[in-house]
Amino acid sequence: MNKKSNYSEVKKFEDELNACMKCGFCSFWCPVYQAEKTESSVARGKNDLIKSLIAGDLEYSSEYAKKIGKCTLCMRCTENCPARVKTSDIIIAARADSARNHGIAFPNNLIYKYLIPHRKLFGNVVRMASWAQRIFMPKGDGSTRHLPLFLSAIVKGRYIPTIAPRFARQIIPEVNLPAQTGANAPVVGYFTGCMTDFVFPETGKTIIDFLNKNGVKVIVPQEQGCCGAPVFLGAGDFETGRKLADANVKAFADVDIIIADCATCSSTLKEYAKFLADTPERQEQYTAFAGKIMDITQYLVDVLKLPPNAYEVSDEFKGKSITWHDPCHLCRHQGVASQPRDILKSIPDIQYTEMPNANQCCGMAGAFNLYYYELSKTIADRKMEGIDSTEADIVVTGCPGCIYQLRDTVQRHNKSVEVIHIMDLFKNKPVSCE
Amino acid sequence: MIDKKIANAISDIAGADNVLEKKEDLFAYSYDATTDLRHVPDLVVLPRTSTQISEILKLADTHQIPVTPRGAGTNLSGGSIPIKGGIVLCLTRMNQIIDINKNNLVATVEPGVVLQDFNTELAKQNLFYPPDPQSFLACTIGGTIAENAGGPNALKYGVTKQYIVGMEVVLATGEIVKLGGVTVKNRTGYELMMLFTGSEGTLGIITKVALRLLPKPLYKRTVLAVFDTIVNAGEAVSKILENGVIPAKIEFLDNWFLRRIESLTPMGLPIEANAIVLFETDGNSEVAVNEEAVKIIQICQDTNAIESKIAKDDKEAGSLWDARKAGFAAIFSSSPTIVGEDVTVPRDTIAPFLQKVDMISQKYNTPIRILGHAGDGNIHPAIPTDIRNKEHYAMAIKMMDEMFEAALSFNGVLSGEHGIGLEKQRYLKKAMDPVAIEIMRKIKDILDPNNILNPGKIWENQETSHE
Repeated sequence: MNKKSNYSEVKKFEDELNACMKCGFCSFWCPVYQAEKTESSVARGKNDLIKSLIAGDLEYSSEYAKKIGKCTLCMRCTENCPARVKTSDIIIAARADSARNHGIAFPNNLIYKYLIPHRKLFGNVVRMASWAQRIFMPKGDGSTRHLPLFLSAIVKGRYIPTIAPRFARQIIPEVNLPAQTGANAPVVGYFTGCMTDFVFPETGKTIIDFLNKNGVKVIVPQEQGCCGAPVFLGAGDFETGRKLADANVKAFADVDIIIADCATCSSTLKEYAKFLADTPERQEQYTAFAGKIMDITQYLVDVLKLPPNAYEVSDEFKGKSITWHDPCHLCRHQGVASQPRDILKSIPDIQYTEMPNANQCCGMAGAFNLYYYELSKTIADRKMEGIDSTEADIVVTGCPGCIYQLRDTVQRHNKSVEVIHIMDLFKNKPVSCE
Repeated sequence: MIDKKIANAISDIAGADNVLEKKEDLFAYSYDATTDLRHVPDLVVLPRTSTQISEILKLADTHQIPVTPRGAGTNLSGGSIPIKGGIVLCLTRMNQIIDINKNNLVATVEPGVVLQDFNTELAKQNLFYPPDPQSFLACTIGGTIAENAGGPNALKYGVTKQYIVGMEVVLATGEIVKLGGVTVKNRTGYELMMLFTGSEGTLGIITKVALRLLPKPLYKRTVLAVFDTIVNAGEAVSKILENGVIPAKIEFLDNWFLRRIESLTPMGLPIEANAIVLFETDGNSEVAVNEEAVKIIQICQDTNAIESKIAKDDKEAGSLWDARKAGFAAIFSSSPTIVGEDVTVPRDTIAPFLQKVDMISQKYNTPIRILGHAGDGNIHPAIPTDIRNKEHYAMAIKMMDEMFEAALSFNGVLSGEHGIGLEKQRYLKKAMDPVAIEIMRKIKDILDPNNILNPGKIWENQETSHE
């Protein structure tokens, strides 16, 4: 066994690992297994590999890292596991051990360590990349690989959403007041995820307008950064993850409720305590921080308890048939599934149809879809069958990552289905982003 | 190790995408669902066609390379562990449902079709394939045939072998053989399909199969009966069958299981009960299904049931059956090692057999957890132990040996469902007529002269690797 290797992170989950009794039932639920039909795809196989590594029967290799990387963390295995083994936790911890013992490969090491933690610089590089996108798009040039990871997909012929001309933080002020401010007006912080910031700023603007309209004061701290999902959950860089976590905790210190429109972000913000707390202080801070986080639909339904007439659908969506896609990070990681449905079902102006495989992973899973684009497409194709069966005009969801993936999917299948964030239904006039 | 040239040849036959050679992949095929057994293969192939399998087997036979067939690896006797190394022939990518013929009530499928996926497709046409090993979410049809699997439905509907009407098999020497057909009646020559059914992958590779189907029953009722002892529960089961009622399923759980399942997933089980029995009646007449349920309750009351009732709705019935399904996880997640078996006794000896099990438990002062398919006498006694504690583990094995002896003394059998594989080899000689064992050997010699197919299984005198 490699002397410098230690498995301190995954050892925290050793009870989980040992609870796996190798029944193999996870194969039925695993999107990766369903696509590949090989044993190392599935939770049982991955748990066994990790166990073999800790036991010293197997040595660390790039192939091992690849196998551990090939998981969408969708948690469907856990949801259906007879022994309730939290394989996604085990995998995140195993990735962290790998990253600490063996490092993250170039160029992602630079992106995760230097670019993502520096929001402004990150924004500028994304901006540069968006120019490069126009230049490189037709040919698909290998040299784009050094660009930020979600743009590297260009070379694989993937649908890339256009980088917004102005980012969310450039069009949204730090304090957003409702028209009438009462003394007891609720106050929330708004967490602007990277995707909303750089790609879908309109969604952010719509949410803030919607909250203001319903009497909520919204604070958008400029010091907030990336939630850390690609950094510590995806790549296992816990050290950088901690820096991001500390910055976000500090940025939102003055609010009690933090709203997010990205399921991955909100779920990740809640995971700081589980994975990143290395001191009692951090444990306390991260736990308190997690208690503040809420998905936007959860806030509207559970806290504000808005009446149906608060949800005024914009004219362009009236009379449309709509279906909901459950982001894994919302339905399984956070248990938010009924709230968006409550909203959609209460709106008289649209026709809601439930998708048969609504809570099945779309195959996006952050960087996963770039490393394993072919696999990601196969997973998405199953999703497409479900979308098709609903005959819906619009798929709404609660995660920009899923939107990105589902748009790629409908485009590949030459369908006219629109994919938008659930809150986009409520933009009542064209929102100016200029 | 497999010679590089041969590995390349296999890659040419099956396609590079269908061959796994990396250590990390090989490790993932070193185990199945059996506790504590493992051996790493040299190569894994996931073939797509019977022609590919034929060519691979010809190569393996020529070079005398062991070939271990594998489906989803959910079996519980070590049957799909490549104990002699060599090639794992994994059939999960041959997973097409070729035809569902509703008029003829026969479906033709490839071996890698997952049992649950098959039943989901059948349900769309109101059809049903009864054999229901509890690994149905993952197990492949090919695996259920090679293991002749059964489950709770066996009581009324029988096990896998009763549903096979046709088969395509690739022999160890590479010939592709068609057996049977698509008719339920077929009296042409020997029942050769039955050779491969339950062969545990030692005689040939099943590459296609025609299966008999049934119309899906329209009505179901679930009855729950609570008993003060597991022995009384066993008695009630015998009485019910005696009285001409054949439910679809009769399952029982002891107190330990009730408590453990309730603690894992709270569902309101009667955790004070020493034993519960679940019955399911089914059929196409609502009146008849209800009458059977009522009759079961009467008989349970006559045989000292503390409580018995019909589940009030589908939801309650569903959670009771979920509890039964959770049994496997409940026991296997409770202790580092579980010595668990699937002995089967004649139905009218369930009560005395359980008394015997209780005596063994007391003799060694070690608990034996009981759940099982009471309706067909198939019982899963389980002894929680820890393989790292050599003394305790040896005792658990000894207790199991005594349970096997007891089962055999009641004219029972070693294994109702799981097969012999690696786990039960040491008992085979006690449980089978020596002449029958000799016949099996001769059949093996004819069909697999170089002993390449799943070597090291069923027969003793091969070293097994208990880690």
